Amino acid sequence: MDFQLLVDIFPQVFLDGIILGFMYALIALGYTMVYGVLEFINFAHSEIFIVGAFVGVELLLGLKSVGLLDGLPWPLVLVLALVAGMAASGLLAVTVERVAYRPLRHAPRLIPLISAIGISFFLQDLIRLFESLWRNAFNLVYPTIDVLNVRFELTQTLDVSVKSLVVIAAALLMLWALHVIVNRTKIGTAIRAVAEDQAAASLMGINVNRIISLTFLIGGAMGGAAGVLFGVQYGLINPYTGFIPGLKAFTAAVLGGIGNIPGAMVGGLVLGLLEAFAASYLSLLTGGAFGAEYKDIFAFSMLIVILIFRPKGLLGEIVRERA
Amino acid sequence: MTALFAAQGVTKRFGGLTALQAVDFELESGIASIIGPNGAGKTTLFNIFTGLYPADAGSIVFRGRPLLGLRPDQITTLGICRTFQNIRLFANMTVIENVLVGMNARIALGLWDVLSHGPRFCRTESELSTRAVALLDRVGLQANANDVARNLPYGDQRRLELARALASEPALLLLDEPTAGMTQAEAGALMRLLRELVVDLGLAIVLIEHNMRVVMEVSDRVTVLDHGEKIAEGRPREVQSNARVIEAYLGTRGSGPRRARRA
Amino acid sequence: MSPYSVLALAAVALSSLAVATAPRSVLAFLAFQGALLFVYLARIPTWLRVGLLGVALLLLMPLIGAFNGYYLEVATQVGIFAALALGLNIVVGLAGLLDLGYVAFFAVGAYTWAIFGSPHANVIFGGGFPLAGAWFFAFLFVGLFVAAVAGILLGLPVLRLHGDYLAIVTLGFGEVIRVLANNLDKPINLTNGPKGITPISRPPAPLGLPYGEYFYFLVLLIVVLVVLVNRRLENSHIGRAWEAIREDELAARAMGVPLVRMKLLAFACGASFAGVMGVLFSAKQVFINPESFTFLESIGVLAMVILGGMGSIPGAVLGATVVTVLNLQVLKGLSLWLNELKNAGVTVLGYSLADLPTQFEPAKYERMIFGIILVLMMIFRPQGILPARRRQRELAHLER
Repeated sequence: MDFQLLVDIFPQVFLDGIILGFMYALIALGYTMVYGVLEFINFAHSEIFIVGAFVGVELLLGLKSVGLLDGLPWPLVLVLALVAGMAASGLLAVTVERVAYRPLRHAPRLIPLISAIGISFFLQDLIRLFESLWRNAFNLVYPTIDVLNVRFELTQTLDVSVKSLVVIAAALLMLWALHVIVNRTKIGTAIRAVAEDQAAASLMGINVNRIISLTFLIGGAMGGAAGVLFGVQYGLINPYTGFIPGLKAFTAAVLGGIGNIPGAMVGGLVLGLLEAFAASYLSLLTGGAFGAEYKDIFAFSMLIVILIFRPKGLLGEIVRERA
Repeated sequence: MTALFAAQGVTKRFGGLTALQAVDFELESGIASIIGPNGAGKTTLFNIFTGLYPADAGSIVFRGRPLLGLRPDQITTLGICRTFQNIRLFANMTVIENVLVGMNARIALGLWDVLSHGPRFCRTESELSTRAVALLDRVGLQANANDVARNLPYGDQRRLELARALASEPALLLLDEPTAGMTQAEAGALMRLLRELVVDLGLAIVLIEHNMRVVMEVSDRVTVLDHGEKIAEGRPREVQSNARVIEAYLGTRGSGPRRARRA
Repeated sequence: MSPYSVLALAAVALSSLAVATAPRSVLAFLAFQGALLFVYLARIPTWLRVGLLGVALLLLMPLIGAFNGYYLEVATQVGIFAALALGLNIVVGLAGLLDLGYVAFFAVGAYTWAIFGSPHANVIFGGGFPLAGAWFFAFLFVGLFVAAVAGILLGLPVLRLHGDYLAIVTLGFGEVIRVLANNLDKPINLTNGPKGITPISRPPAPLGLPYGEYFYFLVLLIVVLVVLVNRRLENSHIGRAWEAIREDELAARAMGVPLVRMKLLAFACGASFAGVMGVLFSAKQVFINPESFTFLESIGVLAMVILGGMGSIPGAVLGATVVTVLNLQVLKGLSLWLNELKNAGVTVLGYSLADLPTQFEPAKYERMIFGIILVLMMIFRPQGILPARRRQRELAHLER
């Protein structure tokens, strides 16, 4: 085994893990916020995330086709894509809640979950249908913005691209904004009140339905932002791309303690790092017997182990089991 | 001779709250009632007796066998069964199926008997049916045997819960507020039924009850819990005139015990 | 004879005639299936119902297969999925445990026979393989057993989990099995990875029966057995214990239901049906690879159970039929039809269909079908098309 190699790639793997971790964290917020309020796994959140990526790519491709992609300053282009992705995903999440979850709010627990799985599958093919008719292709590639691909060599073993920095900065900004919304505003107080006790919150004059919609809007928008950043970072997307990151982000949410917003961020980072290290080191450590292809198994096994042995996650659960 | 059922020093804490503090409880036969204000720990005691909660300290012996650490289904098999304060029927199953589930602990059939549908299986199933109908007859529900439990009126649901518990052929029956929501006449009829069960089947019964008239009429002994501690025990008349009980349980001295305050 | 009996007879006869005269017509075959459903549901004497269904399934269906082999393939697939749906029905419908990785057990069964029934086992054990086709029958039991053990192994750790957490863990389990199937071509080549395993031995067909017909009859036999087992379980203390757990776990425990044993039994029974069908599937296909055992398949089987009605045996069979027929016939039929229209240069409202994007193929949209089924059923009819009817126990002999 080549120890020098293990040491050499460490910083790069660490950086990759951080980036992946922020993606998971942003997506995990959607799961965790909805779970906090409704105690319900929004299975369709992975598609809400990928819709953000598709709206982002459509906007960039649209700008490109009219020659504006290089004409506008790149930060503006990115902000436009992010805003479009967030708006689309947020509104989609709200619509999905209205159509497929709200009628089932008082049904037994598995009923809305099955409905959410249905929505997830429906949306995957809906995106495919739309893109097939619109572009005659449903595997799309994010157009490159040259500035973003510039790389700095920080040390001999670590180089950082501009887009990585942008992705990290954008993710941090989103997480900070969410923190402010949830903890410092009246809306955030209302969301926390509804999560604590719906009946009591409604007696205090809070419109519970509106707060639930708002929760889906914010969680969906975070997912949409993650979608655009995912596309910028990794390039290739298709309608089914969202499923695995979605499942992993859910793992991250559970890891951090589902329903717990800071927990989702911590869980995302931990999972991202673990996965990056598993992907890079597993093959080296086992002499090639097991490779990066086991990183998914790694994440799923972790999900299973956490749920079984520590279902409250690392930071604990702020919501109680429904009686 | 040891008692049929003897619990000693049963203690249960939930976080910082002590729900039960070293409670002793014994029963040989007949009907005993546990009374006390809401939150006194009565249902918690039942949950420990039936293995749904682990106890933090104490011991429970039933027919000479220690119960603590056993699973609920093992305790049921030994001969203790219960009903629930907030009625927990199998709502989407029929009335008779509810009773048949109660017999689960007494069925000695294996997977192979079920799959082969042999004579042993058919004979057992028909015996079960006969017994289930007899039980329903006893509580006055035989006409509803094939109704879905969810659709029964409230009083009937309570009686079905009783039949379901009886189906496991218990020696000790724990009833958690069996007359809640019943009229005085219905409650009286139920108590007569319980008396019959004690006489006919030699059953021992523990009641958690808020209806004082019922308690005083039917109980051989009354135990009073308050804030997780046993504050009095004895014949109904003795307890009724116990100053500590009147103070803790009723707050003020009134014109005799009435229904306790319910949240 | 009641008018219903006449109608039932006429429906079977006419639809069979329609298939005979137009063996290529999807509509004729759908009419035949509809006639069978009518026979099942109509108020006709039991002897007539059993007789008509028997004639249709044992005689007419193989005959139709002789005209158009594809229909026999459809019927065989329906049978395979019906058995899977019946197995999942035990876990989800009766015991109320949402299993999103059910197809993993199908995979376990399929790989069990695929490895030993093909030359692939030589890679692992040296030589002496494939096993002769006759071993297939022994492996039906091996597959049952191995899948049941896998069901228990999955069940043990997840027993403490409730509802949606259980669902997610089973999903993870299903994915783990699929990824393993995809990657266990090294360090030891167990599954041959994404390339899959082929050729897989088939049992020798008796009387020179063509394989299409032979596998149809095998599947039919297994489905009948599975239905029988399902009914016996459902109408026993075991089935009642499962339902009690589904209704109220805590009360069930207090009534003497041994929770751990009953949940494990549910997982094992459900898994064993899938294991048996997996063995049969691998022999029928001759080739298997991990593509057949994706999350999509698990959800497809779930959609069948939900569509028919959770906990309902006829519902599971109907659900399997409708979903399989939708996938294999309606969507594919639409694709073909659309292509014909395109090639013929048909225009709709001035729009030439030839201009339709080539990526637009209805046959590829099975997820959309599953999704729509799941959502609409949950919102409008959660009990399914043929809801589980509460069994009315015969109590006449006891009434005084």
